[in-house]
Amino acid sequence: MLLSITEFLGHFHPLLVHLPIGILLIGLLLQWLSRKEKHASLKPAIPIVLLWGTVAALASCITGYLLSISDDYDKTLVSLHMWMGISVALVSLMLYAKEKNPAFAIDKRILSIGLLILVFLTGHLGGSLTHGSDYLTKPFKDIFSNDTLSTATIKPIANVQEAVAYQEVIKPILETKCYSCHNANKQKGGLRMDDSLKLMKGGKDGKIIEPGNADESEMIKRLLLPVDNEDHMPPKEKPQPTEQQIALLHWWISNNADFTKKVKELQQTDKLKPILLALQNVTAIKKEATDIPKTTVEKADEKVIDQLRQKGVVVLPVVQNSNYLMANFVTDTIVDKDDLQLLLQLKKQLIWLKLDDTNIGDDGMQIISQLTNLIKLDLSHTNITDKGLQQLQPLTNLQYLNLVGTKISAQSLLQLKNLYTLQSLYLYQTNVGKNDWETLRTTFPKTQIDSGGYVVPLLATDTSLVKEPKKDY
Amino acid sequence: MTQKELHNQRLVREAEHAVMRMNTRRHFLKESAMGLGALALGSLFGSCGSKASQNSVVFDPAHPLLPKLPPFAGKAKSVIYLHMAGAPSQLELFDYKPELMKMDGQDCPQSLLEGKKFAFIRGVPKMLGPQAKFAQYGDSGAWVSENMPHLSSIVDELSFLKAVTTDQFNHAPAQLMVHTGSARLGRPSLGSWVTYGLGTENQNLPGFVVLTSGGRNPDAGKSVWGSGFLPSVYQGVQCRSEGDPVLFIKDPDGMDRDLRKASIDAINEVNAQEYKEYNDPEILSRISQYEMAYKMQIAAPEVMNINNEPQYIHDMYGTKPGEGCFANNVLLARKLVEKGVRFVQLFDWGWDSHGTDASLAIDVGFINKCRSVDKCITALILDLKQRGLLEETLVVWGGEFGRTPMMENREGKQNPFKGRDHHTEAFTIWMAGAGIKKGFTYGETDEIGYSSISGKVEPFDVQATILNQLGFDHEKFTYDFQGRPFRLTDTRGKVISDIIA
Repeated sequence: MLLSITEFLGHFHPLLVHLPIGILLIGLLLQWLSRKEKHASLKPAIPIVLLWGTVAALASCITGYLLSISDDYDKTLVSLHMWMGISVALVSLMLYAKEKNPAFAIDKRILSIGLLILVFLTGHLGGSLTHGSDYLTKPFKDIFSNDTLSTATIKPIANVQEAVAYQEVIKPILETKCYSCHNANKQKGGLRMDDSLKLMKGGKDGKIIEPGNADESEMIKRLLLPVDNEDHMPPKEKPQPTEQQIALLHWWISNNADFTKKVKELQQTDKLKPILLALQNVTAIKKEATDIPKTTVEKADEKVIDQLRQKGVVVLPVVQNSNYLMANFVTDTIVDKDDLQLLLQLKKQLIWLKLDDTNIGDDGMQIISQLTNLIKLDLSHTNITDKGLQQLQPLTNLQYLNLVGTKISAQSLLQLKNLYTLQSLYLYQTNVGKNDWETLRTTFPKTQIDSGGYVVPLLATDTSLVKEPKKDY
Repeated sequence: MTQKELHNQRLVREAEHAVMRMNTRRHFLKESAMGLGALALGSLFGSCGSKASQNSVVFDPAHPLLPKLPPFAGKAKSVIYLHMAGAPSQLELFDYKPELMKMDGQDCPQSLLEGKKFAFIRGVPKMLGPQAKFAQYGDSGAWVSENMPHLSSIVDELSFLKAVTTDQFNHAPAQLMVHTGSARLGRPSLGSWVTYGLGTENQNLPGFVVLTSGGRNPDAGKSVWGSGFLPSVYQGVQCRSEGDPVLFIKDPDGMDRDLRKASIDAINEVNAQEYKEYNDPEILSRISQYEMAYKMQIAAPEVMNINNEPQYIHDMYGTKPGEGCFANNVLLARKLVEKGVRFVQLFDWGWDSHGTDASLAIDVGFINKCRSVDKCITALILDLKQRGLLEETLVVWGGEFGRTPMMENREGKQNPFKGRDHHTEAFTIWMAGAGIKKGFTYGETDEIGYSSISGKVEPFDVQATILNQLGFDHEKFTYDFQGRPFRLTDTRGKVISDIIA
């Protein structure tokens, strides 16, 4: 109980420390100003301000001491900070005495300047204790180096199986999620995690890692507690590790928490393999749509877009801040030559084109084939035939081609085998014959070919109802 | 001054006087009210103008439904949300719990009841084992019960969320929670947010269509597709699945298309004059609504008519032309999405299997409900897939909460049929299409399906995921109202990145 009261009082230190800093600086400012005749009237305020500054400094010293015994900080840094703090209190007291009694034997200027320096140094040391010693200089470091440590982000690993498990997989997780409270300067719960020996040694409450037994390891237990639980780690308000990261920590501890072995030397369950693989490409988590080119393009002619819109065609950038365009003839089902000419003027920007259910036919393909940046093309339920389709060979960027409900056959499709990037090809209700599918699949090995024609069979249960069972009573 | 000049002067003064007499007290009040209103409005806008400019969505009152672009490239162009109103039992569909069978008929352990509140269960209920046989299907090995014999054939297209939780155990608030992100009335629904943010590509049809079946609207009423504080044009348009899709869509006898056009033009003319005088953007919305209604008269009956679909499609979906049933609505949903409608919301009522009568019994009525949705939902997924639409259409299936592993004992007495009470701690939702992982299961419940033990998500997370697939960051997609930005997911919500391919 007593301990908790001291701890409680100690927690006021971060609040109280700001008082002596402010009050004493005000005192010094008044002292400096009052040297001039104009501000001579400020003089009587100086001793009062200094006295209260001294009181605040003493209160800070006491709470600071209480905090230092209840929490775990770097010992040398703490003791330096403590003695500096005590000196601040002492020097301010001396300055107060000098103000009250000018006969006091020390030079006032030395005291004032000394106090000023002490206040700044003590404050800076305190800041280093709570925020880390590189807190102040960190923004500069971030500018001048791309060091992972300072920015605390996880970098992709080139070959995850060849990587040293602790160094490249586990440490970055601890670095981003644990180190801020368990490091060389600050050891919450007496635990330091940035050093492999200290990590294994554990904290105040004992070991946090039981090599080979992840489920019994305090670290894993606490990670898995509900976020609202008091003992959950990291604390609710701090960044939380992802489920995959916890799985990785669990895996590493299960494999005896080894610091030198490579990933491939440790046992890997089927569940873990995809998680490990994902580390090779961290950006995969933030998947960007590949159906928009990475390169930029100049803005399309607004007049052309307006003309198309007037005709009822939906023309829009594919995404905000992009000049790439999509066009959809959803309500304008009559595609005439003018429309096609306008599309041709958007050749560079147009990447998605929906012409489904329009009257476009083979003669339109001559212009469509010039829209070489197209990535998605929907020609379903149009009048195109083999004659038109085979003209589309130049569309080498196509990823999506929808030919549902058209009269095309395998013959023209086979001529499009140069479309290497094609990912999905929809051929439901076309003239592709039963025997052609195999040939098509070998011609387009990387493409998902959907033949459609799915049947949902009629089961007896579809048309019958379950009746209320007869009651026995 | 000649006499003539005097005379003219008198005439002018008389005319001025006459004009002044026309200026009644009413005019004065009207004018000053406008002035004061403008002043008030000016100060209102002045105080929040800088804020509003941060909003990524620009609201154009003259063309509120024009398509807009998402902030980032989303996989989904449209959404079909299938809501089983009343909350289907996860324990008889997807969440297989053999351990629960062992406890069948036993008293519920105190540990499951202490500190818990249920809608109807009182005292100590009996446990109720799974009332259906389960098996694993597909390459993904997903568990599906015999109640969904068709759906089990396409599990490799779906991503199951097995550990969804909510904090509302009554239908109306829980439905509002799922669709508006708040258990209380007044927030815009998911479909409204989406049409507000993205508009819709087909200007001849509404952007947000609602279809209901099962004989009743959902308990939360029309608020569940309401626009809340968003401009009212974004509320869901409820269409009927039998008869005219929209009431009075046909011109009455004696009114032909030209006359209709002429009268709408005249009304719009008057409205345009009114707009010139008052500058109220809602008037522009009204003008565009009239225009859309006129275009819809032609477009809607065509799209909303399932009779011109070929027979094999009817066979596939198991539709019953002429009836207002779920299967018909599902087919309509496909047709609407094909025509560029942004958000189609289906509600099917009748899933509230308490066991209070045969139609609400887990071994009678519930099975019949399953039979009425199984074939058409399966057909929907396959049909979207073969048309190349599943890549950009997000299909979501679910209820508003789950059902208890205990048998319901309403007011402490055994119900006449086997049933389960409302349960907030675990239920199943699945999603498919539009960049969602295929054949995947996320989240797990304990061995009797009482609570979620891993991969726990809440409705906010599902909403965040849906918005993410459409190209929105749910934390940045806001609307300023009453002096602060509002968002669908309020202060919560995490995108369930595990189910995103």
